[in-house]
Amino acid sequence: MAQIPVQTIPRDPQLFYWILFPITLVMILTGVLRHYATVLMASTPKKVDQKAMREQRALLRGVNLRSNHFVLSKSSFTSRRDALITAFESGAFLKDPENRNQPPPNPLTDPNAMDGLMGMMKNQMAMIIPNSLIMSWINAFFSGYVIMKLPFPLTIKFKSMLQAGVATKDMDPRWMSSISWYFLCIFGLQPVFNFILGSDNAANQLAQQMAVAPQPAQLFGPGVDPNKQFLAEAENLAVVEHHSVLDGVEKRLIEGIKL
Amino acid sequence: MAPLLFPPSQLSPAEALALSKKAPTVLNSRTTNLLSGTEKPEVWVQYENLVISCLRTGDDTAARKCLERLTERFGPANERVQALQGLYKEATAANTKELEEVLKEYEDILAENDTNIPIAKRRVSLLRSMGRVADATSALVQLLDFSPTDAEAWSELSDIYLSQGLYPQAIYAMEEVVVLSPNAWNIHARLGELHYMAAIAPGAGQGTAAGGSYQRHMVEAVKRFARSIELCDDYLRGYYGLKLVVQKLLSDETNNSAKQTDDNEAALPDTKTLERLHELATSKLAEIVRHYTANDRGWRGYNEIEIAAARELLAEGSPKTER
Repeated sequence: MAQIPVQTIPRDPQLFYWILFPITLVMILTGVLRHYATVLMASTPKKVDQKAMREQRALLRGVNLRSNHFVLSKSSFTSRRDALITAFESGAFLKDPENRNQPPPNPLTDPNAMDGLMGMMKNQMAMIIPNSLIMSWINAFFSGYVIMKLPFPLTIKFKSMLQAGVATKDMDPRWMSSISWYFLCIFGLQPVFNFILGSDNAANQLAQQMAVAPQPAQLFGPGVDPNKQFLAEAENLAVVEHHSVLDGVEKRLIEGIKL
Repeated sequence: MAPLLFPPSQLSPAEALALSKKAPTVLNSRTTNLLSGTEKPEVWVQYENLVISCLRTGDDTAARKCLERLTERFGPANERVQALQGLYKEATAANTKELEEVLKEYEDILAENDTNIPIAKRRVSLLRSMGRVADATSALVQLLDFSPTDAEAWSELSDIYLSQGLYPQAIYAMEEVVVLSPNAWNIHARLGELHYMAAIAPGAGQGTAAGGSYQRHMVEAVKRFARSIELCDDYLRGYYGLKLVVQKLLSDETNNSAKQTDDNEAALPDTKTLERLHELATSKLAEIVRHYTANDRGWRGYNEIEIAAARELLAEGSPKTER
């Protein structure tokens, strides 16, 4: 059995200086630039006005009372519950009590909600624009180059990943094309950015995509009618079957602690 | 550096002094390092706490420096920085007139941004320390109206009411705290203390027409102390309060037979239970005091003053238990 001859492709050493190095440098610089652009464009978190805060926290108070009702004795719980239910049902905590029974405004016309959407848009744009620019730049100038040979062997499956843009069937997957180097840079530069910009930088697009992906169920999001929430919470409070942790605590204590 | 990360309000003067002596080393260390790059939030917590302990110990220049670093990092518009700056001004104010000026500043800030909670709290405590308790109370109630999930504010309100002798209000406010943090044993014990104080207050009138409320408070106090011990083993304050209350109830019983009310909540535990609780609390207290005095491992965390009080309580109770 003859040893399979090692593929050798004579490459111009200038490839390193004129392709590999520039691509990496451009990627790093774009990351830094994107970080600062995001920082500049970041809208300051909107100030919550007192009425909105009151509305949210009053509801939270109801939720707290419902979930921690057992720490209170029966009389203090019932007095609190009655007071909160009355206030919730009369809409005393609402931000604007006059439009209680109107349908909630369209979230797209609500300026507060628009701010959030715009911020998201900006972030997405800051990611998409430079990426597509660099990619087209690489495609225009460096497509079809094999620029380096990885120092370790790889299986055939990696061919499509590492040799994008180079359509040769028999080439060893260790050879890498320029566009693949670009993709590797996208995913692999995070530690470099951490080093340059600090750990919570905005250059990392992967982290941003992750952050966007899970949309938490918004408690007070746009389009949710606070009045309905209050009514629901009042109902929840009304059906709480109260038991107190103080009932029989002396007996538990005497039994539980051995001297 | 670990103790620097805890809020210094609970520290004894000696500890505060020890902390503020660390100020020069912290101030000399660089906050940001080019290579490490990452800044830790702990650093800034340290600075905040240093400001407070330095102000307590009168090291105003160090406090000023820490404050400058914080301002540099977070900007003068940051709410916490504003509150700390206010604190600094309050601490260095020479006379009432300057305090009035600080108060005026707080009001200006609040007029601009009425949800600036740190400043609202500073205003309340400044009003209180200036002796304008009624103003402080109404400001605090107003703060709690739009932010009813703030445990710190509720407990401050409870404290203010207590200082005015308004026990039911103080208890109500403290119950709000316990709803917000249901497993805080110190809050449970505090509620027990409030109930006990409400019970023995002159207004409650033991044995008079309001006797029902006396008994209700006492029973609730027993339960609260018991709960706090249940949540935290060997909790000195809990045992102390339990012993105190049960002792009182037992001595009441020998004087006049306990009134049994229909109200289920106010029903006293039977005498046997009370006696066993008393026994338990006494022996536990004795155990804690013994271990603390012997400086045993794992028993050193108690407060010196609380141990002394427990020892005193044991000493005055001892003839009773022998009888």
